Amino acid sequence: MTQQNNGSPTPQNEHSSASENTPNTSASTDSSLQAHAKSEKPRSPWRTWVIAIIAVIIVAAAVFAIVNHTRASRSAQQSAGEQADTVTIGLKLAPTNLDIRNTAGTALDQALIGNVYEGLVSRNSENKVTPGLAKSWDVSKDGLTYTFHLNKNMHFSNGDELNAQDVVWSIEQLEEKKYHDYDTLRNFKSVTAPDDDTVVITLSKPYSQLLWSLSGRAGLVFDKDAKYVAKTQAVGSGPYKLAKFTPNNSIELVADENYWGANKAKTKNVTLRYFADDDAAVNALKSGDVQVLAPVNATLAKSLGDDYTVKAGDGTDKYVLAMNNASGKATADKRVRQAIRYAIDHEQLIASRGGADKALGGPIPSLDPGYEDLTNLYPHDLAKAKKLLSEAGYSASNPLKLTLTYPNTYGTELGDQLRSQLKEANIDLKVNVVEFSTWLQDVYTDKDYDLSMVDHNESHDFSQWTNPDYYYGYDNKEVQDLASKALSSTDETQADEDLKAAAKIVSEDAAADWLFNYRVTSATAKGVEGFPFNMNQTVMPLAQLTYTPAK
Amino acid sequence: MKYMLRRLAMFVVALIVISIIVFVMLRILPGDIAAVMAGTNATPERVAALREQMGLNKPLVSQYFDWIGGLFHGDFGESMLTGQPVATVVGSRAAITFPLIVMGMAVALLIGIPLGYLSVRTTNRVVQSIYQSIAIIGGAIPALWGGLLLILLFAKGVGILPVFPAQGFPSTGWANPGKALMSLILPALTVGIIVGATIMRYTRASLQTISSSGYVEMAMACGMTRRKALWHVGLRLAMPQLVSVVGLTFAEMITGVMVIENLFALPGIGTGLVSDLGHRDLIAVQSELFMLAAFFLVIGLLVDLAHRALDPRLGEESND
Repeated sequence: MTQQNNGSPTPQNEHSSASENTPNTSASTDSSLQAHAKSEKPRSPWRTWVIAIIAVIIVAAAVFAIVNHTRASRSAQQSAGEQADTVTIGLKLAPTNLDIRNTAGTALDQALIGNVYEGLVSRNSENKVTPGLAKSWDVSKDGLTYTFHLNKNMHFSNGDELNAQDVVWSIEQLEEKKYHDYDTLRNFKSVTAPDDDTVVITLSKPYSQLLWSLSGRAGLVFDKDAKYVAKTQAVGSGPYKLAKFTPNNSIELVADENYWGANKAKTKNVTLRYFADDDAAVNALKSGDVQVLAPVNATLAKSLGDDYTVKAGDGTDKYVLAMNNASGKATADKRVRQAIRYAIDHEQLIASRGGADKALGGPIPSLDPGYEDLTNLYPHDLAKAKKLLSEAGYSASNPLKLTLTYPNTYGTELGDQLRSQLKEANIDLKVNVVEFSTWLQDVYTDKDYDLSMVDHNESHDFSQWTNPDYYYGYDNKEVQDLASKALSSTDETQADEDLKAAAKIVSEDAAADWLFNYRVTSATAKGVEGFPFNMNQTVMPLAQLTYTPAK
Repeated sequence: MKYMLRRLAMFVVALIVISIIVFVMLRILPGDIAAVMAGTNATPERVAALREQMGLNKPLVSQYFDWIGGLFHGDFGESMLTGQPVATVVGSRAAITFPLIVMGMAVALLIGIPLGYLSVRTTNRVVQSIYQSIAIIGGAIPALWGGLLLILLFAKGVGILPVFPAQGFPSTGWANPGKALMSLILPALTVGIIVGATIMRYTRASLQTISSSGYVEMAMACGMTRRKALWHVGLRLAMPQLVSVVGLTFAEMITGVMVIENLFALPGIGTGLVSDLGHRDLIAVQSELFMLAAFFLVIGLLVDLAHRALDPRLGEESND
């Protein structure tokens, strides 16, 4: 290594020399070389870097100032005391496309049903059927013929008339193309339009859930004459029109001035923005970028002050700890499944999530028909759990080894908590968090799992327990008979009783554990009116929504 | 000229091989998009209807030729999920990732080259070991931790000096350049510090080799101080190596900044690729991977050409 003494690291003096511009290659004496070197000091490489860094800082500061300035002027423009013509709602799960006939996921129901698209009948925030495009209906005594009387002078947002022909076409397409939820129209036989204002649906056998099914995707009415790309566009008859859709990011809605019904939109522009991250969502609410947040993380919501309304609403989200009931698995043994149910401390799970959720002891949540509080069937009881396990042949020296496989959308905390809770009952739980599509293949389709966990948020989905081919692998003739009796019943109270009985058997059999009924906590800024708190992850009608900034 | 032609031919062959590998690998993955779209309450008939509708029932060979045929026309296909052209989607994601990489690289160069140079220039052993520690610590910082630290220091809402937005990219995009730029500063700093440490190590290593190679001695014999010789001769000689490192690091960063994009919730190329793969949106994923591979190859080509421009000796050798 060359380390001569002229490589001195510290500057020494500042005397300049006549040789400043002498080319390096010219022969020079040692002293003039030294002088030359020192005279170059002010042009040392440092200077360039220092200038560059200062320049970057200045640019950054300028940008910051401009940004702050524009923000200040923008917020000044929004006059207080007057109703805002734009309301932005922060949501969590973003739809990947708008094709509501093909793509699953309640994100689409939430955004589009009742706002852009309308159904033959609709659903209120108590999960009950209400009039929609049909103002009334008659059901024949035998429960086989439903006659719907449509409203008059209805039209789609593109101006096309909406009449019975569109309803018939929509339902026929649903059945023919097997669109999403086509299977919820059980026993469907035919749909006809005797005249432009009447639709008749006939069934091969009575089906008590028909109206409710029609209030979801199966009953949506599309314009048979409209041509549009369903993945990125939407043409419906609702109070709002789609203005702009950015996949995974936002949906912009604009009020349809010519909406046919009385329930006209009260706010001109409504934007739905999607936040995958809870903190970012709360920050957006605090900074005023959004006026509504649904859901808001229950723990973070506690940091919101008096300027916000924070409320948990009821919903049908069931966090199901699925146990593989099919033969060949440890969980095929009822005692094992019961032990798991006794070993889980539901109150603790709920408390650690902020306390808004509700304990759920069976497959039917409180907003669905057939609900009954079953939480007392399997209270937290470690002694019972251990006893059942030892009967099944497991002990502390020979612990039960199980794997919990669930999609990564639910985070890792729940898995960790379950592992530590089950450990106390000598169950050795391995937690395997996988991608959703891997889960769909391995667990849902191939049924290769011990335990799994999914938020089954659909309403009226008891049929999961009557289908032995569903990934639970639960096969109980009595439950199947009760459920099919309830479905074909023409008497609503009797149907409720049958469903109740069936749900109780499923819970007693410990076919699964229901960790909790997730209740969505929503937050609205002061001045927001008409936002639905109940059920807003599946039905979120926005026509009544208004925002008036405080004075 | 001959060299260029040979490189181009290799480029095309490599692309075709890559297209086959990508296509086959993705078909091995469990799960498919029809199941993802149909959701958890769907009947098997419903999934079958979707597969039919999306052409997933066609033989794999014909699916491959459909895809590659489109590529030859510059058509990267449409995402099966969002229905948007893949090229458009990648374009909008690149509009976040590329500025982020360029800014990160600028920070890295501003940190790495001067520090690398200084660490060789000094003869003081204590100072040398301080520089060495900076290089090691900087390179060992996990991206997530570094990013979180910066958020805790400078982000609005949580930071000690709340200046920058914590997360996310403004929905207005680059239509509001100030806001967009602000949201990229913290991520770029995180990237820059980590990559800067790498650049510093490379600068230091190549300068050190050069400083003991005789070139610097020669320059000093001709009358330069060591400091000047290192700056003018040493760095100039280290340039070809640095260009390779910077070029390849740049290409690597396109997916390498994924962790940072995730942390700061930026919808860039890396996060997009992960979510498309999660949805098993195979047409989108294969076209995206193909574009990335092509980009890597182009960068490699450019680096080679830059080498030859910066070091004329290389050109002479291969012309023999």
